[in-house]
Amino acid sequence: MWRWRRPVLVAAREGPGGLVVPRAGLKKYQQPPDYSGIVFPEKTKLKFMDKVPSVPKVRREPRRLWDIRGPSREATDFIQGQYGILALGGGYLHWGHMEMIRLTIGRNMDPKTMFAIWRVPPPSKPLTRKSLGHRMGGGKGPIDSYVTPVKCGRLVVEVGGRCEFGEVEPFLAQVAHKLPFPAAAVSREGLERLRQEEEEKRLNNQNPWTFERVVVGNMLGMRKYLSPYDLRLKGRYWGKFFLKHRV
Amino acid sequence: MAALRGGGGAPWRRGWLPALQLVRRSSKAVTRHWKAMHFQRQKLMAVTEYLPPRPAIPPCCLPRAEETRQEDDGYARLLRRQVEEAFRENRMIAVCQYNSMPGEDVVMMRHYLRKHNIEVKFFLNEIVRPVLSQSKYKNLLPLFVGRNVLLVSRETKAKEMLRVLKGVPQINLLGACIDDTILSRKGVENFARLPPLEAAQGQTAGALALLPSQTSSLLQRSSAYLTALLDRHIQHLQAAETGSPAEPSPPQSSSDR
Repeated sequence: MWRWRRPVLVAAREGPGGLVVPRAGLKKYQQPPDYSGIVFPEKTKLKFMDKVPSVPKVRREPRRLWDIRGPSREATDFIQGQYGILALGGGYLHWGHMEMIRLTIGRNMDPKTMFAIWRVPPPSKPLTRKSLGHRMGGGKGPIDSYVTPVKCGRLVVEVGGRCEFGEVEPFLAQVAHKLPFPAAAVSREGLERLRQEEEEKRLNNQNPWTFERVVVGNMLGMRKYLSPYDLRLKGRYWGKFFLKHRV
Repeated sequence: MAALRGGGGAPWRRGWLPALQLVRRSSKAVTRHWKAMHFQRQKLMAVTEYLPPRPAIPPCCLPRAEETRQEDDGYARLLRRQVEEAFRENRMIAVCQYNSMPGEDVVMMRHYLRKHNIEVKFFLNEIVRPVLSQSKYKNLLPLFVGRNVLLVSRETKAKEMLRVLKGVPQINLLGACIDDTILSRKGVENFARLPPLEAAQGQTAGALALLPSQTSSLLQRSSAYLTALLDRHIQHLQAAETGSPAEPSPPQSSSDR
């Protein structure tokens, strides 16, 4: 609804000859992005994930919390899509999270021009829970739900197609905020830049004493207070958390 | 308290683990909450923090490195080509200050100028300035500041242009380049007052031919003067003779010498 509004005063900056009002120069036309190398999967929307695997597990499994700990080795790079959600911490994704992801992304994307693919498997790790209100003891509880372990640095979903990061980022960030671990929406270039920055930080660190150096040399007997896994984790991970500011 | 792990099997077959494993509480390695670190570990983390590089001169004090110019896009190149063409092909190029005019006034002005084969061209300063600075029209650069418009023509009809511009108060002539000669506003007015080329040529030819045409009369002038003097003298004598009849006839003048 058009209404008369007082005209907004143009932002004038101080120049050599008094106040200088910026003027529009030549319009620089951007080349439209090139979507030639995009391959669409058959189903553009996210697949429905089962709550329980088709062959439910009978044997109750130990907790194995090391599947959350440390950096991820699988699904760290983009496969088909251009944008995705990167996990910046470890955690378990259960069916509720996956439904939220599927529905939010399905609601916000255009299936004709965009596609989304899962980069995490359906829940397969059984979690047990004892019934409420009982005392300790009596054996391990029955299987309650299934979850998918996700380590830090892993991609959860990938989105691609004829779209820009600006149109995808809002709902990816919305989804990333709702995940049980810290996550962020990234693009291919963004991920590349993150890795480069990390590398640069590592190279131009002015501190001669690094965690890695101390652990490998067991300086001052530090390994008494550290875990053998710290040789691999190098002080960047603590439990399921990822310490971004380190090295 | 520290728990000592019992040694079972040969030492070289066991996995390498520290001899002492400090187990104070039974909190696992991976917890939902932030597990409290041992104080020694906290100290180690504090000592091994990242220290960013600190150059002797902070980058904000150094002169800012000019960011690399974006690649020339085709549109800018096209406009530059058009500017070069305009300067090459037209004999008269007038630069005028352009204040905002109503649209129809612009159209009427263009129409009147078009009748005299003068075109009105709008070019962006940021395109024109680099083109001029590299061509021979360097001295026109001070004119291309602020809003301006170019009136170009293949003929040099300055008088008609000035007449049209007089009727348009929002366009002020700043300067012109006519036949590779830079003229100011006064110069253009003087140029307009000059007679047209053919008349000027005729005048020059006439002025040049004036002297040769006078050569014959110059040469004949002295003898003609003598003839005239003698004729006057004859008349004078004849007048005197009629006064006194007996007069000898004067000697015949020889005009061919």
